[in-house]
Amino acid sequence: MFPKPIKTRSRAAQLTYKIALPVALLLWLLPLLAIFMTSIRPASDIAVGNVFGIPSSFQMLQNYGEVFAKTDALRYLLNTLLIAVPTMLLSVALACLTGYALAIYKFRWALPLFFLFVAGNFVPFQILMLPVVDISVRMEIINTVPGLVMFHAAFQTGFCTLFMRNFMKGLPFELIESARLEGVGELQIFWHLVLPLVKPAIAALCVLIFTFIWNDFFWATVLIQEDSNLPITVGVRTLNGEFVQQWHLVSAASLLAAVPPVFMFFIMQKHFIAGLTLGATKG
Amino acid sequence: MTSHVTRPDARFATSVSQVTIAALVMAIALYFLSSVISTSMIQEMLGLRRQIDARVPTFLIRICCLLVAIAAAFYAVTGLSMYKRNKLAWAPWLFLAVGLGFFIVYVIAPIFQSISYSFTRWNGLYDINGDWTGEWVGLQNYRVLFDDPNFYTSLKNNVLWLVLFMLAVPIGLFLALFLNQVVTGIRIYKSLFFFPFVISQVVVGLIFAWAYNPEFGLLSEIWSWFFCETKENIMGNLTRVCSVEPPSILGDEDSATYGIIAAGLWPQIAYCMILYLTGLNNVSSDQIEAGQLDGAKGWKMLWHVVLPQLKPATFIAIVVTVIGALRSFDMIATMTQGGPYGSSNVLAYYMYDQAVGEGVGRYGYGSAIATVLFLIMLVYISYFLLRMYQDEKEGS
Repeated sequence: MFPKPIKTRSRAAQLTYKIALPVALLLWLLPLLAIFMTSIRPASDIAVGNVFGIPSSFQMLQNYGEVFAKTDALRYLLNTLLIAVPTMLLSVALACLTGYALAIYKFRWALPLFFLFVAGNFVPFQILMLPVVDISVRMEIINTVPGLVMFHAAFQTGFCTLFMRNFMKGLPFELIESARLEGVGELQIFWHLVLPLVKPAIAALCVLIFTFIWNDFFWATVLIQEDSNLPITVGVRTLNGEFVQQWHLVSAASLLAAVPPVFMFFIMQKHFIAGLTLGATKG
Repeated sequence: MTSHVTRPDARFATSVSQVTIAALVMAIALYFLSSVISTSMIQEMLGLRRQIDARVPTFLIRICCLLVAIAAAFYAVTGLSMYKRNKLAWAPWLFLAVGLGFFIVYVIAPIFQSISYSFTRWNGLYDINGDWTGEWVGLQNYRVLFDDPNFYTSLKNNVLWLVLFMLAVPIGLFLALFLNQVVTGIRIYKSLFFFPFVISQVVVGLIFAWAYNPEFGLLSEIWSWFFCETKENIMGNLTRVCSVEPPSILGDEDSATYGIIAAGLWPQIAYCMILYLTGLNNVSSDQIEAGQLDGAKGWKMLWHVVLPQLKPATFIAIVVTVIGALRSFDMIATMTQGGPYGSSNVLAYYMYDQAVGEGVGRYGYGSAIATVLFLIMLVYISYFLLRMYQDEKEGS
């Protein structure tokens, strides 16, 4: 283990480490903490310059309630959910199929096609923007939730394929060979043999894609202009314009947008990190 | 004289009924898709006349038709003798078809479309007959681009982003080393340190925009501990008097970009940290012990023994940081919108601004900017693919 375990060091060093840990964390999360404090204080505090001290009164419920009452925050949150969940299901399902094709079959196009998915995944969004708008206009789904889902699902299929293919490469290939010799059909092998084995990868991808899509801002601004279909990230930005100088409400709305991915991260932490760090350990 | 007649093996014969029925279903589905279903028809069927958005139901019905057609096509193919004879050659294409087709339509083809737009002048509209209204202008957009001072500002800022964003890698490593210990509650500490990455960049942007606010932000608060004192004015109100006024980071042309990059580093450091923490988990203890026997300690141990083993983590960290730097858009859009006077623009935001921002509608010009950005990214993509290719060669 590196660095040297703290237990093998002097008591003083251990004590210093145990104090340094919370201090460092406090400094690291200071911006977040500050915005949380702002979101629970009354507007009058900010006006008199009490920004970082103890709030004169705790108004958590009032402030967050006001965000819901005064704005379409609830609608925005629902829209985000309607965008993130179908995207997640669609791209992960498609990637199971493409990943299987690229990992299990030995054909000449396997590697070039895999690289096509990988390369597409790293492309800057701006080079896709105008043609995607054009496609959406022609399919009459611009400004709608399904229009955004279509693009996201297609784009995320690239990342999911990269992930799935690498995961499936690690499966014992003899297992599939022997099933083929027994005369099991290709679809049956996929469904009954391979899918149960890649469940952890599916879980990791679901968490990741959900978070990515929840936090998407660019595609939502490009593909959706109608206020009633906006997701929360764009909604929060709009609120920022509406609540000029009402920082307690802006911060409450911002934190609201951050809660679901944070919650998702905490309950699915293992899968989330496994997904993000894929490839960081092998090679 | 061996003129044997190969009798068709029953297992490999085409099942005519299966193929015919499937082809028929496919044809009907495609016919519906192409000409029967329209937004106005669905609207009439729903009887809602403009009150509800008919586009979504129409689209869903279309997708269902398409799915039926695809399923029927697959069913037809699996009935063919060709398929049955050589399953292993056909099967991967069936598995790939939908995902690959989808990806090509939405990601691969648009790249080439954008590049072709960049040689035209177009505002994104079609005339009443559905014909394209743009015109071909050759290299005109690029000529204008290379004389555009805003383009050079954006390019310079992109380079700044790329260089300064790289700080996330060593800082992430340092944090990971700091947290790679076994004490009570360390797991919670690790996940709390990772927190900023999970939050949307828009929210991070808003948090920092507020923190930088010179009147009541976090930074001005800290500033006032050193340079300001609170005085009671004649009216009896408390006012703040500063010997040096707190800086307006985002309002200043010289510092706006640095302010945004600092905000962007926050989640990026967290990402690099988690990559290194996983990497450190897998560092072999044998090699560390061997290093200890050789008298390696501290920095020497880190540089000669640990870092070489963290190479894969470093590689991924650099790749995601480069991509993150070139994709920076959300934060600029929330914090400064490229301002003041375009000083914090990057290519990604400038392209958006030219193409759809503020009703400019310069699709051709925007596409030229996007193409330049794409070419820059292509350098990194090629390098990454090359590395992957070498790994694949070694692996097999």
